[in-house]
Amino acid sequence: MKIEKVVVIGSGTMGQGIAQWFAQQNCQVQMVDQNYEFALKSLEKIKLSFSKLVDKGKFTESQTKVFGQNLSVKKLEDIDPLADLVIEAIIENLEVKKELFLTLDKLLSSSVIFASNTSSFSITQLAQAVSETRKNNFLGLHFFNPATIMKLVEVINGLETNPEISKKIIEWFNTRKKVACLCSDSPGFIVNRVARNFYGEALRAVETYSPEKFSEVDLVMKEVGGFKMGPFELMDLIGIDINLSVTESVYRSFYEEARFKPHRLQRDLVLAGRLGKKSGKGFYQYETK
Amino acid sequence: MKQNSQSVHNNIMVVALPDHPYYFELIKHFKVRTLDEAINSFDTYELVIDLSPLRTQKKFLFLKELAKTTKADIVSDLTLCWGEWIMKYSPQVKASVSTLFYSPNNAFEYSLRDELDSEMVKTISQFAQTMNQKMIQHKDLKLSFHYPRTIAMIINEAYFAVGEKLATAEDIDLAMKNGVNYPLGPIEWGQKIGLHNIAQLLEELSTITRDDRYKLSTELKLQAFKYL
Repeated sequence: MKIEKVVVIGSGTMGQGIAQWFAQQNCQVQMVDQNYEFALKSLEKIKLSFSKLVDKGKFTESQTKVFGQNLSVKKLEDIDPLADLVIEAIIENLEVKKELFLTLDKLLSSSVIFASNTSSFSITQLAQAVSETRKNNFLGLHFFNPATIMKLVEVINGLETNPEISKKIIEWFNTRKKVACLCSDSPGFIVNRVARNFYGEALRAVETYSPEKFSEVDLVMKEVGGFKMGPFELMDLIGIDINLSVTESVYRSFYEEARFKPHRLQRDLVLAGRLGKKSGKGFYQYETK
Repeated sequence: MKQNSQSVHNNIMVVALPDHPYYFELIKHFKVRTLDEAINSFDTYELVIDLSPLRTQKKFLFLKELAKTTKADIVSDLTLCWGEWIMKYSPQVKASVSTLFYSPNNAFEYSLRDELDSEMVKTISQFAQTMNQKMIQHKDLKLSFHYPRTIAMIINEAYFAVGEKLATAEDIDLAMKNGVNYPLGPIEWGQKIGLHNIAQLLEELSTITRDDRYKLSTELKLQAFKYL
């Protein structure tokens, strides 16, 4: 499979990381954001990241110069219609995503592979926005943050995805030090589903607000379970609101399956504005600058 | 009855079965007895370390029988039990441990009846050291120890996913290790712990709480069936 020209739509944390990773694979990457200035800032951040990688000895200056040249910022209407792959990494809003895919369907050649980095919507549902002939070329590519470091890419086949395409994409990623895992189009895919009870069961183990218990559970899961972070410190890092929203989405999608039921303690913290590290308080308290 | 010439702790009786993760270390250092041997023993001990893999009801009955044969303090493994209930109704149990589930970091949780019981901490610490394990305190044990209930739920979900053909078992393991840095994939983790142990714990939690969240995956049940 030839993937030389990639369009990444959305220049937030994920879009930026995905764009950077593809540039490091010597692909020509066009970055697009509905806010053009924001995309330019993301490009600057990537270039700053390149110089840090040179300082750390991960790449040479000449390598990162080439990576930088691989990146450009475009307006949506100016993207190359003959790109090989377009990856959507915008806000998790179904209608906004569908509208974007509808536009892209009109702008891009029929050979372009369409991918969504969504973590919460069905790929089959998103593919309804594109023309019938495009649906075979539509799949999920779910990257993990930070996309330049985390090796996993979940490759999701929608009901109408041509399995040959996902097979070839997996081969392409696997030759570039990513670990691409195939999964079917089911809520939470693999990771966001299987990991739910790392948090959910920990919340049931403590039941009520108790920093002493949060620390105890975190310590046990690190020291006994070998996890790098405990569930409460990880929820604080991810953002308790983000974590709750994923749980709620998986819970709803599974028609209120008890295994995924959100916990009131998490909801109460969100309602109190205690969102984790980013708000200075979550399960734990943090020093505010 | 096993006699062990290398035994260094003659005043301690350990109750364990051969599939306990520490078994080969245990027999080097302790008098290890089966459940039947333990309740029929006339020897005297200062301490009994019960590592039997029993669920609440059977554990209670076993501890009751054991208490008829010895006045020694008991440290009991409550991995598969409703911990708070056993501690309430089995007064000879002075501390509980959770050693039944394989730990990638060689560590186990323990909980004390009396949190100021420094002698008991010393005793458990010596046991941990002999087994080359670290120990982490779990205060005020309620339903279950933290690590086993959490890892059992993760593994159960992975088996639900395999059963629904969400992905292959191999891809599920790869995804969890490379997407969220798990030290082991849930499928391989389950094999190391023993699916029968996972199944027993979840069934116990389900029995006690009547909460559907602990419902066993059919795929896990199928794989663990030969042990049930």
